[in-house]
Amino acid sequence: MKLTRRTLLGTMGAAAAASALPFKAMAASQSIRHFWWGNPTRDERTFKVIEMFQASHPDIAVQGETIGWGDYWTKMATQTAGGNMADVIQMAHTYIHEYVQRGGVVPLNDYIGNGIDLSHYDAGANDIGTMGGDLYGINIGATCPSIPYNKRVFEEAGVEFDPLAWTTDDFAAACEKITSSTGGAVTGSEDLSLYMETFEIFCRQSGADFYTADGKLTMPVEEVAAWWQMWKDLRDAGVVEGKDQTVQLDKGMADLGLIRGTTATTFRWANQTGALQGLMQDPLGVAIVPQRAGMQSGHFVLPSMFLCLSRDAGDVPAALAYIDNWVNDEETLKVLGIDRGIPPSQKGRDILAPQLNETDAMVVKYFGDTQSQILSTPNIGPKGSGEVRDSFMRTGTEVVLGNMSPQDAADQFIHDAEGILIRASR
Amino acid sequence: MRKFFRRNTAGYVFLTPWLIGFFFLALGPILVSLYLSFTRYDMVSAPVWDGLGNYQYMFEYDRRFWKALEVTFTFVAFSVPLRLAAALGVAMLLDKGLRTIGLYRAIFYLPSLLGASIAIALLWREMFGLNGVINQVLSMVGITGKGWITDPDTSIYTIVVLAMWQFGSPMLIFLAGLRGIPRDLYEAAEIDGTSRFRQFRRITLPMLAPVIFFNLVLQTIEAFKTFTSAFIISNGTGAPADSLLFYTVYLFNEAFKFFRMGYASALAWVLLLIIAAFTALAFATSKYWVHYENERD
Repeated sequence: MKLTRRTLLGTMGAAAAASALPFKAMAASQSIRHFWWGNPTRDERTFKVIEMFQASHPDIAVQGETIGWGDYWTKMATQTAGGNMADVIQMAHTYIHEYVQRGGVVPLNDYIGNGIDLSHYDAGANDIGTMGGDLYGINIGATCPSIPYNKRVFEEAGVEFDPLAWTTDDFAAACEKITSSTGGAVTGSEDLSLYMETFEIFCRQSGADFYTADGKLTMPVEEVAAWWQMWKDLRDAGVVEGKDQTVQLDKGMADLGLIRGTTATTFRWANQTGALQGLMQDPLGVAIVPQRAGMQSGHFVLPSMFLCLSRDAGDVPAALAYIDNWVNDEETLKVLGIDRGIPPSQKGRDILAPQLNETDAMVVKYFGDTQSQILSTPNIGPKGSGEVRDSFMRTGTEVVLGNMSPQDAADQFIHDAEGILIRASR
Repeated sequence: MRKFFRRNTAGYVFLTPWLIGFFFLALGPILVSLYLSFTRYDMVSAPVWDGLGNYQYMFEYDRRFWKALEVTFTFVAFSVPLRLAAALGVAMLLDKGLRTIGLYRAIFYLPSLLGASIAIALLWREMFGLNGVINQVLSMVGITGKGWITDPDTSIYTIVVLAMWQFGSPMLIFLAGLRGIPRDLYEAAEIDGTSRFRQFRRITLPMLAPVIFFNLVLQTIEAFKTFTSAFIISNGTGAPADSLLFYTVYLFNEAFKFFRMGYASALAWVLLLIIAAFTALAFATSKYWVHYENERD
């Protein structure tokens, strides 16, 4: 065939048409990424949900990305810096302010009722995810603080206590009893002195709060000192886990003494009980964080996590479809269970009620039984509060290692925290 | 000038890939980071000019900056001499004209290929952990171990040991240097009845001085830049109690955890100046202890 201008153009046109066909099909197939911090159980559930979503939405490809809590925020920050955040991200109340203020997540107001249906949500369920009148984070499960404990160890040691009303003295006595009855093979508790989340409840028992509504630090130095002193006393008595374990910050679930069988209790958000139970043989119980004698309750309920739409979301409609499916689809809600918290809608709770396993049922009961002890939801920390948490663990480590007294460390921590917040607000 | 280029053409040709990478990939970011070091920049919104604010904060208020320097200097002070000693020691053992020398060289070089990897850092964390291999071996001989990595007094030395183990590349350079020492010097010494140790001190070390100098400068720079092992072993935090807060780990956290890219850039430039100062110091003192053979006395 002689190559003429006409045949050449014709060939090119045909080639273009042919290539346009698969290209068009590809353009219709949308793709989004969902990034969450997880644990083995949660990852399994989430990938199942993604699979189901893809079956019902064949035109949307969903890529799930998961990592442990400790690395999650580093990776997220790197992705934010690089402009390649996942489209749908899981957010925690400790970090949501930072990401909202930096513009990492975008307001969802326009999509509610127009892409995402939240009409069945409890009143006020999305208050914490709302800032300055804009909704940034959709509540995907309520949770509350809890002390998961190894029932077998508690029973064998002969500890008798009311899991919904015990004091710090009861707690210390239980730790002592467990440690002595097992000859030290099992200590009473993980040393929680570096858990700022647990300290928040302790602090609120005195009537104080970490932050004001407008983000000012109001954490009393005496409370920090009292907290570290209490754990120092337990450490000195040898009834909690040793310092080598304690100074490893933000350990993965499998590394916890509770899972390895070397301690009888730790602190976790109640929704994680199922995941903990999945990693151990002995049955778990859940108790409230011990009260201090003569003080008020410090217990509270808050969204365990949010779903957010990131600044880098390339295909907003696909991401919205995914989020809407997440909060509304019955089968999805069933698969998710209460791993991320109790669903913040009656519809969600009704769907789950018949299928709860023993552990889940216990958690739901605990959630209900502690309703009467709920204090107001704590104020969310301002930008910089994530770094304050780091500083708390760092300075607390000095107490654990015996390099500083609780009082000196508390003074230093508060001083540092104020500096961190001033620097973050600039 | 022209003569200089004509004489060095081959060298520049071989340098081309690096030069291209430097001018097209590295130079731009380097210059931008200098600018950013005078700004506050959170990587999402535009940088805000802050003059010397970052540097002022660093030197006047930032306790962790000084802590990071302390940790890094400690590491450099221990790891560089140890690594060089290990490299020279193994190089001398291998410099015996063994027939299987190639195999041994490869075996001893292996840790350097693996050492910087994440897997090795993870392995290290397990080995020196409370229930790790090290403690199990110690318990066999009746010593009760401890959490080497979780004790801030010992954690850094686990990384020093890791660094020492990666002596491969200075070892290869030492080997080449040892080969270059004329054998007749040793023969003459033997005839005079000089002891092995004296031969080492009077022949090997002086003849090797240029190579030692080269290795010293390179390894010092490497040591200042150590990141992966400390980052992995401390879970990215520098914990326990900031005892593993290597300068680069601190820099990384400031940049990518707390979004202070301006401040992190300032930290990077200060590190550059510190490394430059040490290199300059090494060059300045070299004329007192490094003698080149073709130099006229």
